[in-house]
Amino acid sequence: MLLGRFVRGLARSLTCAAAMIALTGLGTSSLVAQDGDPGVTYADILQGFSDPSSWLTFSGDYSGRRHSPLTQVTPENVHRLTPIWTFQTGTTTRGRGFETTPLVLDGVLYVTGSNNLAWALDARTGRQFWQYRRNLPNDLTYGASAPVNRGFGMLGESLFMVTLDAHLVSLDRKTGSVLWDIELADYHVGYAATMAPLVIDGKVIVGISGGEYATRGFVDAYDPETGERIWRFHTIPGPGEPGSETWPQDAEILARGGGGTWMTGSYDPELDLIYWGTGNPNPDYYGDDRLGDNLYTNSLVALDAQTGTLRWHYQFTPHDLHDWDSNHVPVQADIMFGGEQRKVVMVANRNGFFYVLDRTTGELLLGKPFTETTWAREIGPDGRPIILNDGSEGCLPDPWGSTNFMPPSFNPDLGLFFVTARETCATFAPQEPEFVEGRSSFGGVVWIDRDHWYSALRAIDVQTGERKWEFRYPSATMAGVMSTASGLVFAGDHEGNFMAFEASTGQNLWHYQTGSRIWGAAAMTHMLDGRQHVLIPSGTTLVAFALPESRP
Amino acid sequence: MPDMARLALPRLLLILSISAPLSVSAQGGNPYEGDRTAMRAGAALFGTRCAECHGADAKGISGPDLTLMWAAGTSDDRVFQVIQRGISGSIMPSSSAPDREIWAIVAHVKGLSTVSPFENDTGDAERGQEVFSGTCVRCHTVNGRGGHLGPDLTRITVVRSRDMLIRSIRDPSASVAAGYRTVTFVTQDGQRVRGVTKSEDVFSIQVVDTRERLQGYLKADLQELTRVDRSLMPQFGSDRLSDSDLDDLLRYLGTLRDADSNGR
Repeated sequence: MLLGRFVRGLARSLTCAAAMIALTGLGTSSLVAQDGDPGVTYADILQGFSDPSSWLTFSGDYSGRRHSPLTQVTPENVHRLTPIWTFQTGTTTRGRGFETTPLVLDGVLYVTGSNNLAWALDARTGRQFWQYRRNLPNDLTYGASAPVNRGFGMLGESLFMVTLDAHLVSLDRKTGSVLWDIELADYHVGYAATMAPLVIDGKVIVGISGGEYATRGFVDAYDPETGERIWRFHTIPGPGEPGSETWPQDAEILARGGGGTWMTGSYDPELDLIYWGTGNPNPDYYGDDRLGDNLYTNSLVALDAQTGTLRWHYQFTPHDLHDWDSNHVPVQADIMFGGEQRKVVMVANRNGFFYVLDRTTGELLLGKPFTETTWAREIGPDGRPIILNDGSEGCLPDPWGSTNFMPPSFNPDLGLFFVTARETCATFAPQEPEFVEGRSSFGGVVWIDRDHWYSALRAIDVQTGERKWEFRYPSATMAGVMSTASGLVFAGDHEGNFMAFEASTGQNLWHYQTGSRIWGAAAMTHMLDGRQHVLIPSGTTLVAFALPESRP
Repeated sequence: MPDMARLALPRLLLILSISAPLSVSAQGGNPYEGDRTAMRAGAALFGTRCAECHGADAKGISGPDLTLMWAAGTSDDRVFQVIQRGISGSIMPSSSAPDREIWAIVAHVKGLSTVSPFENDTGDAERGQEVFSGTCVRCHTVNGRGGHLGPDLTRITVVRSRDMLIRSIRDPSASVAAGYRTVTFVTQDGQRVRGVTKSEDVFSIQVVDTRERLQGYLKADLQELTRVDRSLMPQFGSDRLSDSDLDDLLRYLGTLRDADSNGR
């Protein structure tokens, strides 16, 4: 694999030389056309972290672990980590964050930003090769309230990005020019798209946002070459379809049932299954007109990658009334569990529980609270939460949840799952909403008691669900997590600190004040010129860190 | 548990539509000033369009606390314009909502932000000014003069009722606003510092000490870091401030209410 990358790199250099010859008139253009470089292949992405210079998919590999094998930065030397450059996006995000994960290939970063700007940057300096700016309509719906983007997908010489007006665009990696542009759904209704596309063999998998509007969620697969749709899985069944029995028998209600799919899933190439989290039913807080469990909202769905057919599902929060979307990165591991080797998928959920499921069958293996919530403290034998506080006693996890979409990470050597845990206390006041196209329908209001909130980076033992350690932050943070094989965890907080911790103990080893809360983003890391780079988006900046260069 | 006073509000939040036709310019004042129906509709609109950043109670999350705008001397027209035009270069967007919806939101937020003028004012404002100069001015500013350890009180009667102000004077520790919470610690060189916390993260704390010095500290360098529930402001029981002095003081503060309305 590495050799393949080297050969392709060499081919690229030769092509470059050939192009120069062509440009100077010393050769013929047919030399350029002979470039057989396929760019990024499915095999490259499949290899995940094996090429230390690249990060080719949202979580770094298909497993969703966001656990890098890099070991140059260690618990011993991380205190010397230093910013080496800052990129200023020049674009702000109303009420949200700079939520992207950059991809990196051959020393070039591919970065999406808020308001559908995107860039190719020199990973050595942060200097720009090109900028893409989508001409957005001025009547965006959900896209106006959360004008964020979480990253590119990449295949061949193409980049894939979803947009706030609910399109999927393919960009030329070398120029940022649009190769094709297709509509996922009508943004006027309330649809938008913000997640990083997941590229698998011959397919670009995307999800959709807008569960606060009268929308119906789906997961789609598209042809990377043409943008043609290959399949669509609706997260809300149609009338008479399996799952529709968990809704009132009313086509209109099903058609606006919500169930957004706005966070990147993970993929098991052996089982050929895609794991994807689904969002809240619509309206968020008012449930009287949607009695029933409301499948497949607030669930993890396992889809056949070839057909989009549902293989299994697990619903974390039946009949959700608190906007506890389950749009989390599903984290895969192959571990000994209960004396057996199991293929599992793990989710720390917005509802306050940490779950371990068999990812072949969907069987629930473990469900334990990882926050202090009084909503429920255990999962019953039927796999459903035993509800202790329906909200009438107040103090439930707020609508941002006990954690949220900000990526967690998993260190398989330690068997520890690292997650940003939010301890919040909210009171929900549901009201029957009006459904107006293009207008959000939360169905009530929420009071969050900000005198009683904090958060913590928590390490969960995945065998037991027990907390191994925590590091507390003063307010309810929305920053994601990355870990490395050297025994480090990188995380951020609402006050703007980017931090490194010892993975086995939770001891804080390093911090850097970025100047803006780190919101929704998690770090990524790669090697360049023999130095390990660590990158974090924060506010309107992307900052790269490395250990100081050793000079003679 | 959330404050029950705040919980009373959702019952008012019926989604109402405002049908009254409107053809007023942004300079004509708010046509819905004090209109209960419009304010309820404004509350519903606020919940879906503004609350994400400014909080359901308008006291701010990522966006600023809006309930202090009127106290800071803004006008209804100005708030209308900001909602309509947005704030260029910030995350506050412009709005294409109909004028009547924006006015309804303005009416709602103003309702959360202001209290009715004091009634039955019996005190003597001139004597009240003397009380202020003798007792309060060291920590509180009015009309640009005074101390900075406590909040500026020039327009305090716009946002605080007479009862609330009496409570805050008689028992200041009952409720201490963010930015005025007391902290004490010992620095590396053995200095004992007392002040109010302006900002704090995991690693550092930014305070204004009792000498009004703005200073940031690394927590790792501090000992005995203690956040005190009590306000730095002493209790002014009737032994320290008689009922009639209090009356005079409140009368004086009330006179400041509109004195400064053109300034900002």
